[in-house]
Amino acid sequence: MKRDIEDATTISKADLAKLTKEANEEATPSRLKIMWGEFKADKPALVSLFLLVFFILFVIIASEFIDVPKMMETNIMGYYNKPFTPDYWLGADAGGRSIVKELIVGSRNSISIAIGLTIISSTFGICWGLISGYYGGLVDLAMQRVYDFMMIIPMLMTIIVIVTIIPHYNAITLTLILSIFYWMGTSRLIRSRTLAESQKDYVAASKTSGTSNFKIIFREIMPNISSLIIVDTTLSFAENIGVETGLSFLGFGLPMGTPSLGTLIANANDPENITQYWWTWLPAAIEIIILCLSISYIGQVMRRTTNAAQRRGQDQK
Amino acid sequence: MSLIEINGLKVHYPIRGGFWNRVVDNVKAVDGVTFDIEAGETYGLVGESGSGKSTTAKAIIGLEKATAGTVMYKGKDVTKGENRRKLDYNRDVQMIFQDSLSSLNPRKRIEDVIAEPLRNFEHLDKEEEKLRVLQLLDIVGLDADALYKYPHQFSGGQRQRIGVARAVATHPKLIIADEPVSALDLSVQAQVLNFMKKIQRQFGISYLFISHDLGVVRHMCKNIAIMTRGRIVEVGTRDDIYNNPMHIYTKRLLAAIPETNVNHREAHRKHRLEIEKIYQEQQKTYYDQDRMAFPLVKVSPTHSVALPPELAKKFEQQSENKGVNV
Repeated sequence: MKRDIEDATTISKADLAKLTKEANEEATPSRLKIMWGEFKADKPALVSLFLLVFFILFVIIASEFIDVPKMMETNIMGYYNKPFTPDYWLGADAGGRSIVKELIVGSRNSISIAIGLTIISSTFGICWGLISGYYGGLVDLAMQRVYDFMMIIPMLMTIIVIVTIIPHYNAITLTLILSIFYWMGTSRLIRSRTLAESQKDYVAASKTSGTSNFKIIFREIMPNISSLIIVDTTLSFAENIGVETGLSFLGFGLPMGTPSLGTLIANANDPENITQYWWTWLPAAIEIIILCLSISYIGQVMRRTTNAAQRRGQDQK
Repeated sequence: MSLIEINGLKVHYPIRGGFWNRVVDNVKAVDGVTFDIEAGETYGLVGESGSGKSTTAKAIIGLEKATAGTVMYKGKDVTKGENRRKLDYNRDVQMIFQDSLSSLNPRKRIEDVIAEPLRNFEHLDKEEEKLRVLQLLDIVGLDADALYKYPHQFSGGQRQRIGVARAVATHPKLIIADEPVSALDLSVQAQVLNFMKKIQRQFGISYLFISHDLGVVRHMCKNIAIMTRGRIVEVGTRDDIYNNPMHIYTKRLLAAIPETNVNHREAHRKHRLEIEKIYQEQQKTYYDQDRMAFPLVKVSPTHSVALPPELAKKFEQQSENKGVNV
């Protein structure tokens, strides 16, 4: 049978080599190039990108040089030291601890937790939504009841209770605990798109071509909802910074002695701090606002990269 | 022996309702369809929208679960998933879809689209695979630069030819063409149909050709089955159906073919209205009380019609008298 196709055409191996060469010369730009073009076309997003990358790198590298236990020691001489002095660039808090150092280490902790939480919860949520939406029927029914059950649990209360019960926990266990409760939104979103996507003919065509279900889910359907996944992931990253920060603000986040953006903002619980010692909480608050804004700008560029109709960059190809 | 035998195929969808979400009724999308497809022939399946043509096709290829009945291929019932896997059924039976755009994954380049069945069944190395894809593109008359393009960069006719190329990639024995040209304009229809015919001659493929366009079916098919409301009402050769239609539904369908001769417009219109009148009058006798068609009766060796019981009896007696084997 194999001879049939070869008999019917005049295409040979030599043609293939020639065409491969031509194709390499005229190749369409890669994803990264398109994305870079989009960033260049959107100046606020470009600034955000540099800001975010630089800030994350700075925070991670700089915190390596800071001796955290020593930093967290109470220093009575620095009690509410004013900012913009040689020893205390952004002043000190009630314990005489340098706000700058706390901010750097705290940012690293908060951002790492947010990244970890986003990766774990989004991966799980995407898989859950894809499988539930693709198979439908009883599988979908069972998986959605699990989803419903998770939704009715009062999230914050449960996390607080778990954190109080567990005697020893650190940043990693806290990330895992949070992950249990933050995959549902993503999964519902992905499921709804998968339901629509799996009814399309190209999925049927893949089935009749003998492709396995697993491959259809992750190689056919997932690329088609990638724009949704990217936008959702970037936005949930911004949201997840808030999750840890909020918990720490309430006093149930990272254990005592571990600085985070939330513990810094928690300084604002004290009315005296709000009125007189603004430097104890304002930098952290501004940092969160800037981070979340930057992420949402970057998310928009990502969305435009994945959707050809919305592109603004020069290279429309 | 036939290539594939469809026997009493039924696809029912449950209607759920009531307090416990019970099954209160069934939608009988396909209700007892029987026909055989010979190797190398084009079998036409014709009917109005919603008559169950596509559902029949999907049940044959395994996209839809059959409620009852069998589809025999190489002596095995391929309505069961394990038999399909054992026979590598989807290597031998492929499908061309109606909507060429949605049947090609918008995120994949044409190379990957056409190579998909090859990767699943043939396991060629990279160079060979690419070469095969190029050859397939050449067969359906597309340039080699199509290899690296995306589906949305092609016109409807080109896309449908890509669909044809994908379907023939694994040397199938049967291709199910579910209204392959109904979304295309007329000049492109002819182009795609002729490609399909050319490929059939070259590779000896059978087609199950589903359409509601009787002109196209006449051009393509040797044997034709007319379907309505999930049942077949008339089966026969092209001659039987077009020159000697016996069921009122077939007659009505044929009368609905637009006539291009302007001079006989009035006469044609009159003929159409007459047929419609007969259809309205005889509807009660040609369908049972559930508005379903009757079982098929053989009126000649090649021609079967779903006649009402009284007429059917007459034909049976006639054929006995003549000594024709029923």
